[in-house]
This record gives sequence, structure tokens and C-alpha cells, in this order.
Amino acid sequence: MFARRRFAVLKNLLEYVGIEPGRLHFSWISSAEAEKFQKTVAAVTEAVKALGPAQHMIKDIRKVA
Amino acid sequence: MSDNAEFSPRIAAFLCNWCSYGAADLAGVSRLQYPPNIQVIRIPCTGRMSPKFILAAFRKGVDGVWVSG
Amino acid sequence: MEAIAQKIREAAKRLLSEGKVDVVIGYAKGSVPMREYPYFAYTPEEAENLTWTSFCCNNLALYTIRRPGRMAVVAQGCVSRNLVNLINENQFKREDLYVIGVNSPGMVDRRKVQALFPGKTITEVIEEPEHLLVKGQGFEQRIERKKFLRSNCLTCVQRNPVISDEMIGEKGPEGHGGNIDNVAAPWEKLIPAERWAELQETLKDCIRCYACRDACPLCYCHVCFVDEAQPQWCGKTQDEADVATFHILRAFHCAGRCTDCGACESACPQGIKMRRLTSKIEKDIRELYGYRPGMEIGATPPMSLFRPNDPQDFIK
Repeated sequence: MFARRRFAVLKNLLEYVGIEPGRLHFSWISSAEAEKFQKTVAAVTEAVKALGPAQHMIKDIRKVA
Repeated sequence: MSDNAEFSPRIAAFLCNWCSYGAADLAGVSRLQYPPNIQVIRIPCTGRMSPKFILAAFRKGVDGVWVSG
Repeated sequence: MEAIAQKIREAAKRLLSEGKVDVVIGYAKGSVPMREYPYFAYTPEEAENLTWTSFCCNNLALYTIRRPGRMAVVAQGCVSRNLVNLINENQFKREDLYVIGVNSPGMVDRRKVQALFPGKTITEVIEEPEHLLVKGQGFEQRIERKKFLRSNCLTCVQRNPVISDEMIGEKGPEGHGGNIDNVAAPWEKLIPAERWAELQETLKDCIRCYACRDACPLCYCHVCFVDEAQPQWCGKTQDEADVATFHILRAFHCAGRCTDCGACESACPQGIKMRRLTSKIEKDIRELYGYRPGMEIGATPPMSLFRPNDPQDFIK
């Protein structure tokens, strides 16, 4: 519940600096909801796949070394 | 990775020990099929989640982050 | 300005000679113009050095942290809000603090003044009620104060101190007329790729000196996340990912606490506008949880509080 406020602000901030909305996902799944888990994994994978490989925030050692 | 259809993303999944981690376990026991792209990281509670983890995951090159409580 | 400075000196001398406080924290004239610096007066004689000008940009609340004894602080609106923040976070007790309240005239951005005289050295700035007389070798110009205010001062909503034990001068109007909602979060209209480009453009000059952190009255952790080595969450290079990580996390740590005092931007040697990040968080906190930091003693910070009906549409 405290985490919810933190995530709300963090997600807004990361999207504000240009991380695509589909890259970061949050969900509530209880330990009895295996089916919801399965569906959410599929949805998350689908959303990230649609965006393609990540471009930002990746540390490129070749650039700094 | 030129073709998007072949692209297989890497997703860091931060799962709460008591909720989603249990759900993942149950999904496995129940033989439910789900995509193999997620890499599960178990955290003691969603309250353990820190923005550092998410940024560190992106920095190490994951394509997506999923936090589940 | 000089009249207020004189009154601050008198108040400081009185407090120190009566033994009411151990130190008076205020501003003193910098060795170069437009660079007023924090000053600690321990004796009535030292109180003579205190000043009050248009360039008191540091946030003095920073220097109350982990300082033993009773202290008096010269506080305008933002400093007093940060002091309230620190009291709420149990950094010191209200009784140990004596607030010398001053209505903030809005501080002037030295970079904006310098930009008017490219390549020239300003040797003296004389304060007048609504103007500044800028002097240098072979030039002299009177400029209007209001046009050179720091951008956070333009949109300030709390120029009078929130708490004060003694008020120097009169209370004035609260705002400068700017509306923070019009300028906060400037990249919200853009698409993600443009936002990232804007972020890179903003941060490209960052040299990771951490002056913004050191000037910030919110940053008092014993070990900052950038100094942590095991595990190392934030790399130490100037790679775009590392710089972005630093600035995103720094901004996030200020969530629900930042009073928009502008000390970070004033302290930055490279002139980076990190308020583009912090203003977004400030706006979110205001809109999502209806909270303005540092307005009242005893308020619970929004990040250590929850309500059952907090927005959660983003959670599946």
C-alpha cells in the first residue's frame, strides 16, 4: 500500500523521462491466482515485444571505457 | 534482432514472496504454460522494491520490468 | 534590502549576546559579486558579517542538520518550509530552533544577469528597491530585478515564512504571479522518444560533482546511494545511463519533500535545469495526494501514508 504510492510516482517519473509506458508493469496477484499470473505474464511479454528492444537507460561499456 | 516477430524480450520480474511468487509456483504445479521471457527475482515483499532495482535492471539491458505484489 | 540586513544583524547580535542561541545561520557577502554564501555567526562580532541581498540562493535549512545546540536561522518562505520538513522528519526539535523570518523578495539568478553581459566581468552589484545597478569595467547598467528572478522564485507560492519566532520587516505578498502548473513538467506534451532526447539534452553537461545533492536540504542520508559501492546501484561514469540514473533517483528521493527552493539549480556549476525533473514529481504529489511539503508542523509526508482509495489504474 505504501508501495502503491511509490510506484505511482515512480512510473509517472520514468514515463516522463521517456521510458515507454509499456516497459514497466505493476500488478497485484494473490498466491491463489495462478491463472491471473499466467495471463499477466503473457500480457507483459506481449506489450514489451510490441515495443521492441530497449533503447534507453542501458549502460554501454564501450562508450565510457 | 532485425525482425520484431523473432524478437524475444528479456523481462525482469520482481515477485513478492507471499503473493506472486506463490502464484508462479502454483502456475508451475498446475502445469499452466506461460512465455519463458520473464526472469524471476524474488523479493520479500513489494515494499522491498526500490527504484534502484528497476533502474539497475534497465541499465543491465532488460527490455521490460514487471513488479508484482 | 540593506534595511532588512541591518535588522537581521541587530537580531543576531541580540540573540547571541543574550545567549539564546549558540549560532546564527545566515548569509554573508561573497568574495565575488552575486555569490552570497552561508555564514555561521557564533559571536556578536561575527554577526556584523551577516547580510541580506538578492543573491541569497543557498537553502540554510541544510546547515541545521546534525548540528548540536540551539540555532537561529534566517528563513524566507522556502527555507522555513524545509525547516518544517526537517522537524517533521525528527531531525531536530522545534525548541532548538529560532527562526528569524524574512519575506523573500525573490532571489535573482546570477546566470541570467551574467548572460546580459557576455564575456564581461561584473565587479559590483548595487541593490536598489526594484532595480539592480550592475557595474563592471567600462560599463554600468540598471536592470529590473523582477526580470532576472530565478525561475522557481517566479512561481513561488510561499514567500513569507511558515514558522517564525521573529519577523524581520513586513510580511509581503505570497506569490510573484507565476503559476507553477503552467511551467511544471515541461515535457509532458512530448512523445517518449522526444522526452528521452530532452532528458539527454538537459543532462549532457552533468559532471557528476553532486553539488545539487550537497546543496539540497533534503539530502542527509549517512551514505548516499551514489556512494554505495556494494552493491553499486549507480555507476560512477558519465555514461548517459549512469547520469540519468543519478538524476532520476535524486529526484525521486525528493518526492513529497521538495519545496522547490531552487538550491540545486543555483548550486550547479554547469547550469543544469534539474527542476524539470523535480517539478514533475512535485506536481504529481500535488495532484495525486493533494500535498504541499513543509506547510505545517506535524503533517505526515505523503510517502509514509496511504489511503485505501489511492489511484491505482496503472496496476493490473
